[in-house]
Parts: sequence; C-alpha cells; structure tokens
Amino acid sequence: MTRQLRSDEGDFSARWQRRTSVGKHALWYAAGGIATQLLPGCVSAGEMQHEESPAPSISASSSAGIDPGVPSAAGLIELPAQAPSLPTPQSSAGPPSSGTTTPAETPASTSAPASPTSACTTRSPGDSPLRRLTRFEYSNTVSSLLGVDAHAGDQLPAELVGNGFGNDANAQPTSAFLIEQYARLASAMASAALSSGEALSRYSSCTLPIAEADEASCASEFIERFATSAYRRPLDDAEVDELLELQAAARGEMEFEASLGLVMEALLQSPDFLYRVEHGAMDDAGALRPTDFEMASRLSYLFTAGPPDSELQQSANDGLLRTNDQVRQQAERLVKTPEARSVVAYFFDNYLPINGLTDLSRDRELFPSFSPEIGALMHEETQRFLEHVVFDGDGTWDAALTAPFTFVNAKLAAFYGLAGVEGDEFQRVELDPGKRLGLLTQGALLTGTTVSNVTNPVRRGGYLLSHLLCVDVPRPPPELLARVKPPEPYSGKTGRERYTAHSAEEACAGCHAILDPPGFALENFDAVGLWRDQEGGETIDASGELAYFPEAFDGPVELVEQIAASEATYMCFAKNWQTFAYGRELADADLCNQEQLTQSFTQSKHNVAQLLVDLTQTDGFLYLGTEADSEEQP
Amino acid sequence: MKPFRLSRRTLLRGAGSIALGLPWLEAMLPDARAESTTLAKRFIAVYQPGGTVLDKWRPSGTETDFTLSPILTPFQALKDKLTIIDGVDMVSAVGEQHQSGIVALLTGTPQTGNQQFSGGPSLDQVIAARASADKTYKSLEFAVRWATGKSHGRLHPINSLTFADDTNFSPIPPRIDPVDVWDTLFGSLSSDGSSTPSLLASKRSMLDFLDRRYQAVAASLGTRDRQKLEEHLEQIRTLERALSVEPSTDASCTAPAVVDTADYDPRSGINSADDGSLKDTSSDAAIPKVGQYFMDMLVMALACDLTGVATLQWSDTEAKHTFPWLNLSEHHHFYQHDGGFRPAECEQIATWYSEQHAYLLQRMSETDMGGHSLLDESVVFFGSELQDPPSHQKNNAPFLLGGNGGGLRSGRYLTYSGESHNDLLLSLLRLFGDERESFGDANYCNGVLAGVV
Repeated sequence: MTRQLRSDEGDFSARWQRRTSVGKHALWYAAGGIATQLLPGCVSAGEMQHEESPAPSISASSSAGIDPGVPSAAGLIELPAQAPSLPTPQSSAGPPSSGTTTPAETPASTSAPASPTSACTTRSPGDSPLRRLTRFEYSNTVSSLLGVDAHAGDQLPAELVGNGFGNDANAQPTSAFLIEQYARLASAMASAALSSGEALSRYSSCTLPIAEADEASCASEFIERFATSAYRRPLDDAEVDELLELQAAARGEMEFEASLGLVMEALLQSPDFLYRVEHGAMDDAGALRPTDFEMASRLSYLFTAGPPDSELQQSANDGLLRTNDQVRQQAERLVKTPEARSVVAYFFDNYLPINGLTDLSRDRELFPSFSPEIGALMHEETQRFLEHVVFDGDGTWDAALTAPFTFVNAKLAAFYGLAGVEGDEFQRVELDPGKRLGLLTQGALLTGTTVSNVTNPVRRGGYLLSHLLCVDVPRPPPELLARVKPPEPYSGKTGRERYTAHSAEEACAGCHAILDPPGFALENFDAVGLWRDQEGGETIDASGELAYFPEAFDGPVELVEQIAASEATYMCFAKNWQTFAYGRELADADLCNQEQLTQSFTQSKHNVAQLLVDLTQTDGFLYLGTEADSEEQP
Repeated sequence: MKPFRLSRRTLLRGAGSIALGLPWLEAMLPDARAESTTLAKRFIAVYQPGGTVLDKWRPSGTETDFTLSPILTPFQALKDKLTIIDGVDMVSAVGEQHQSGIVALLTGTPQTGNQQFSGGPSLDQVIAARASADKTYKSLEFAVRWATGKSHGRLHPINSLTFADDTNFSPIPPRIDPVDVWDTLFGSLSSDGSSTPSLLASKRSMLDFLDRRYQAVAASLGTRDRQKLEEHLEQIRTLERALSVEPSTDASCTAPAVVDTADYDPRSGINSADDGSLKDTSSDAAIPKVGQYFMDMLVMALACDLTGVATLQWSDTEAKHTFPWLNLSEHHHFYQHDGGFRPAECEQIATWYSEQHAYLLQRMSETDMGGHSLLDESVVFFGSELQDPPSHQKNNAPFLLGGNGGGLRSGRYLTYSGESHNDLLLSLLRLFGDERESFGDANYCNGVLAGVV
C-alpha cells in the first residue's frame, strides 16, 4: 500500500483497512519494518484503536465527507520526543509480540524487531490469483508469437494502478472496450501474419500454394503447433479436435488461409492465451506446485515479460522444472537475457517517479534550459545508470544509491553544467562529490518528484519515505486540509521557509516532522534538478534530522548516505520487487515470503539480479496458493 | 469528408484489419416502458476537473429571468438550452477529497472496496440499459489528457468517472487515443466492401468456440478466478449478440474530418518504458484541438446512432497538465491548491472549460435528427468533483444540464439549499423513463429533486 501514497494524496481507507486486516507481524513486514514504529509520531490514538477492531464500513461514516480511517486532527498532535530507530540487521528483538500493545504504549526506545523466523517453518505460498497478461506482457507475447511489432498492447485500455505496477491480478476488470480491442488486434494480427507468410512458415511445413489434397494435413500441423505456442503448453486431443472443427467449418465458407486466420483469431482471444491459467500438480511431498509448463510461464513472465523460450519449453517438456534447484538454474540463465533488462527497466519506470518526464513542461522563463527533451534525456540517464549498475557494474542496490557517477550525453551534460562531454552517446561521468551521490540525486528523481515550477519538500520527502523506506505517512484528514491552506509557493524566500510555516501548525507538526526533513535535504536542487546554493536570495539550509536515522544530515549527500545505510531501504526494495513479481498486493500470508526474500537479499549483499533469482526460491513462486491462503495467518 | 450511411455490413465487414463493431444489447430490460416520444434518447456526461470559483460562477436573478456569471458567459447563445443547478451538495462523496468527488459524481456512492472505487454503477451505465438497448455500443467513454500525475496512465480512483453495472462496479477505461477512436467508430465506413453471410457465420462459430472455451476453463478454477473469466465471457457474448443487431440506418451521418494529432501523446506517462527514445511531446498545447476532435466524434457517434450514451472527461482530478494556450505554465492542481489557491487562474480555467462545453452543446444543437436537433433529444450533464478548490468542499456543486431530452425544461436557473446530488441523478433517470425511487447510496438519496423534471 505504501506505493499508493504520495505526499499529495493517499488512499486512507485502503491503508487503514489493510492495517486492520493484517496481523502485527505481517504489518511490520508489510511496511518494511518501520511503519508501526513510526506511526505513533503522527497517527492518532483513534486510528490505532481502529486497528484493533473490525473494519467498519465506509458508508457508516458521517455524511460530512470524513473517512473513518482518517485520523482525527487532534490525534495528529502527539509526537514522541524521540522516535525509534530503523531496524538494523543486528537487531535481535522479536517483532511486537502482543497484538494488544498499542504502539502508543511502545517505548520510544524500542529497537526494531528482527524477522520472526519461528513463524515460517511451514510452507506459505500466499495467494495465487489468475493473472491476465498486462499490456507490456501482451505486447511481448504477440511479438514473440507472430513477429509483429512489440507495441500492440498499447492499443489495450489502461490497466488499474492496483499494486502500483499495473499487474495486480486482483484489479483486472473486464470492460467492453478491452474485449473489443482484443478482437480487433486478434483479427488484424492474424491477418497480417498470414499475408506476410510469417505464420505458415513458423508453424508449419506447408508450401504455397497448397493443394486441396494437402489442406487437412497442413491445417492439422499448423493449428497444433500454433495453439501450443499460444497456450504455452501442449494441447490434449480433444482441444486440438475442437480447433480443427472450427477450421473445417470456416473452410466451407472461405479460402483455406482465411480459415486458418479465423482459428488464430480465436486462439488469440482464448483464456489460455490471455490469462496465465494455473491448475498445479501435487509434488511428492504433497504440496501443490505449478505444473511443468505453468512453471515455465512463471519464469518467463517474471524475467522476460513474455512466453517461455525454447529452452524453457524443453525443460518443461522434460519435467526439469520440478525442483527448487532446477527453477533456480533457469532463473540464473534468464536473468542474463536482454529481456530481463527490459523487465527491470519496466519495474523502475513504475517504482520511480520518472515515467512522466518525457512529457514534462516547465516555465520557460524560470527554466530556460529545460525542455521536454531534457526530461526525456533525464529518464534515459536514470535507466541507463540503473541498467549499468544492476547488470554491468557492482550489481547492488547500495551501489545504485551511492554511485559517484552517472551517464549523460552532450545535451544533458550541458544542462547539468558538466564539461567535457560531446556527442549524442551517453557516457559515464563522475559526480561532484559534494553535491550529488547516486540515483536519488539524479535529475529524473528530483524533477519527477516536483510537479510544478517550485520545489515541494513535502512531496520529495514523502516520496523517499513511502517508496524508498516503505514508511507510510498518512494524509491529513479533510477537515484539517480545509482549515489549513498549503503555503503560497512564492510566499517565502526558500522552500524551508514556506513549509516550515505550515509545519508550525500544531496539528500538522507531527507528520511533517517526519515528512519534511528528507525533502529539505534536497532543497539544493531546483524544480528541474539543477543545483542551487540560494533561493530567493537566501542561502539554502539543507540540514535536518529524522529520528529514524542515527545522525543529523546536512544536504543531499549526507541524506543519501543514511538512506543507503538503513536496512529498511533494502527491505522496502525487496518488498516492491515481491509485489511486482507476484502480481498482486502482499498480504499477511506473505510474511514468510517476505522473510525469505529479505534474508536472501541480505545474504547477496543486496545484489539486484540475485534478488530476482531469489524471488524464484520463495514459497510464493515455487508453490501454488489458494484464495484461502491469502487469509491464512502465519 | 464524405457522407455515408451506416449499415450492418459496414460495421461487421472486414475479418482482416477492420474491427467488428461492438453492438450492445440488453437482454432483459428492467421494467421496460413503452417507447414514448417524451423520453430522453441520449445521455451525455462531461467532467471538468477542479471545481469552480463560486462567486464567479453563480448566476444572478430568478428561475426564468437570470443573468449569466463570468464563468458561464460562454453559454450566452445557448442560455435557453441550459438548466443551471445551484445549491446542491455532493454529500455522497465520502472518502479522499478529490477521489470521492469524481467517484460519486455519477454514482452517488462513497468510495468503497479494496481499490477504493465505487459502490454502485454510474448513472450513464444505468441509463445505457435503456437508451442504448438497440445501439452498436452500450456507451462510449472518451478522455482528454487523462491519467496525469500519480496515476501514471492507469485507472485509479483519481481518474475514474464511469463504473460498470457489474458485481464489482468496475471502473471503465476511457478511450484516450483520438486516432484509434476515429478508426474504431468511423474507419470502416470510408470504403465500401461488404461482409458476406458466410463470413458472419464463421465469426459466429469462432465466438461460439470462445464461449465454450471460457466456460470450460472457468469451470476448472476456484470461485474468484472463475468469476473473472465469466465476466470476460459476458463481454464476449455481447460481441456475439452484435452479429444479430441491425444498426439504425435512419440517421444520416458524416464522418468527422480527420485531425492530425501527431503532436498529442494520449499515453503520455505510460509508454516511456518502451525504449527510452525521445518523444516530440507537446500534448498540453494540443489539448484544445484534441478536445474539440473528441467532441466532434462524440456528436457524430450520437448522430450516427452508434450509441445512446457518451461521456467525456477533461483530464482527471490530478489535472497535472499545463494550459499553454492560456499562458498558464503551472498545472491545474497547482492553481487549485498545490501552489495556494489562485482564484483568477482557476476562473480563467473554468471559463475555458465553459467555452469547450458550449462548443459541444452548440454542435449538438446544429445536428438535425429529423425535425429536431440532437440537443433537443438529449440530456447533457456537466459537473466537477468538487466546488471549492482550496477547501475541496462539495456543497453548492456547479452542475449544468443541457438539452431538452425527456421534456427537460431548459432556460432555467434552479436554486436549492443543500439537497443531495443523488436526488439530481435520480431526477435525470426519470427523464429516461426509469421510475426507481432511489439512486446511488440510499442514505444520501431523498427522492426526485423538485423542479428538475
């Protein structure tokens, strides 16, 4: 849920309901380990009481527009003098063990819990809802199947945000528009693949022109081979026969090739193609695992967002995807493919606030050097940088956060004021060590967390907390927002001056003492990510402290160093990958899944490619859960 | 631009690159009333983000003798076709302050469910059960510069206006690509060619195959997953029924002129993942052109009788786009409150939206439907997710009705004192012959709003 939260708007009821439905242990994991530690500082006692009680229905709330899940203004005032520190790997204390202990009673000095190992001795796959191909996956799948352009999925209607990655299996409604587009695309692609000769040559040995006497054997070969690819599994005889009947009936009405096209059209709209249907099979230990071909698809869609390649198909066919080691070996191979790089890029486009940059405009007078092209270049800078770090460089998330270099081309270098870079090609440049360090100080992140011509430290701080640390700071309740106006952006000389004013309001101070400091530390970067020492004639004060970090910080580099040193950062990163990989939101039944992944991530010293491989070793990936599993208490 | 007549053939023609039209049939209409000439035939809802500036919006005068306010001045020539609703509150908008407004606007329900969407179907979908019963499309949803800000091009409670009449009241994804919309609605009409009965028969057998396949797979799955496939199947059956529909050939209609929208990226924010290539984007600057194009296509979709119900969304509640043509270089949300409330800019933006809406009404009033105009037979609802941008208050919501469908008496300024907007939505249902006693969350509905019907 923390993905949903920006400093601008949060989804209170959803988050609140989540808290109510999630056990204390799970909550600790779900929030990356800090939320329960943090919340006493800015959440009302009222909300904490809600957490212990069944969820009331929303409609039961007053008609004044007040969400029952939203803390009351009065409750926001409490802020402990000292908030607890973030968890560290050395922590030995257990999780908050008593479900009846309210966070308010938790001593502020309590250190964060270690992972609740004892709870995870039994297999706990969590839920495995039926997943429909996302637009990204659809594009890759039809491209692989028919060799057509890989953007076909762009014609499909928008997905729901759901879990934040657009691939939430529990948020995939079916609209008339969607079905209509499936039909349009299937018809167009089948027709194109046949008229180009691509389809017949890929899936049959038929040679044109086809004699009438050869039609039956040609149709049989083509349909069985194409359907096997489309379904990503072998078909049984009855399934093949039904398709042949469809073709034969159509042949009575149209030319031979057109009749094959009609079958293709049908297959491209079938549930076996559009959905990742999983039935599973019991293994020797009596556990339900995906079948061989279902596992091949799990692997291929995780690492390539597309259908199984020939090696995966062969392995599935040979029954070589049944042990954890066999799965891991395939994962280790797949993570090295070019397609894995595009999946990682997709992940970051959704995890980071960078996918609107190519369309961003800023005031030309205030930012004469910025243009949509610069925004697009910043996006490319960040993606190239991450691809380098993850696949070609150090490989760790620590390195992404603290790399003393980035990649720019001449245009972007000129924008940043970096000398000595020529040409359109991106090249590695070292950063000014006093000003920038790693991903979080790149133009894309700083510009992407700014939605207007003036920086908003609350928004930037909120982004870092929610996305990098999985700290979930609630949105102020409506009546508070109605009473307290956001500051005029041009009212104070500096961002700190503007936003300190509203944080001085007693009801706001609790949360803003948490939200603002990370944002203030980035105030040396303007609305387009350029360095500034002054704003409005005042020297910028980029110092701050946040009780979750061991030390005070001054400026972006010190902030980044503390974020990179925090174990919460890595739990949060793993949690986001897990959410993406499972294609749903994590639930209380995922406690052990999260623990498995967090432990491996620590063991790999936060290697990102290894994190993807290790994802395949979690119960949630290796086994098939049921709907009931999502409710199961660990 | 050439005139054409819609026929079943043109819609269904083309097993190749051309789509099937998607006729929509309501199998069983609830308490279907005898067709009456007094019933409204078309419903159009238009959403405008960010509320208004009330003292610049509120007209002065009496019900029938009133003077338009600065923000409503663009409607001067259409004053006789307007019904201005003043003083109604969106009390059913319970939840996050922007999201609850857009969710409740047409549903009259609080935010609910796991994904914080709607607790009921939207008015347009309910009306479509009647108004689109014999139409190719149950409804058409269009959106301009949609899914900005944190929704990143995806459906989210910040940008969802219409909700299906299904078990989950699923948000309906709008059509956002003007090129695609033109192709879908009007593309198959630009050449002649016809589908043979045999092609239709084959399409039908293909859909029969899909029907069996979805049933078989659904039956092999657990309850929740089965339901997901069954909903998919229901939409395929809609497609299947299309083969039996004879679209009306009464209305003569003209395909809208194709507009070059190469400078507009309808999926801005979605596709940057693809290859990182640079895009020449000027989508904000293209909004007026694209908006007008969508309105032209909307009017023609109605004139061609493709549907009885259409919605148009101007952006979403984030409204994170700029207004270069108004020389406003910040985004709309900034002027609402992100940058502190700026009434002058908000008024300027609201007035511009009035101009756009006036254009739509004007086009409809000029479209002859056989002795009367399209506007005459329609009800056009215009509203926002809130009234007052800085406080997010939803009382005195700035609602406008256009047209005379169902005998709606226009040229009136109606004032109220805090009645629920659910009552207004219920009243609109009456114009379409739906006699239910309550709409949306019953806790917020007290019956028909006096004076509307």
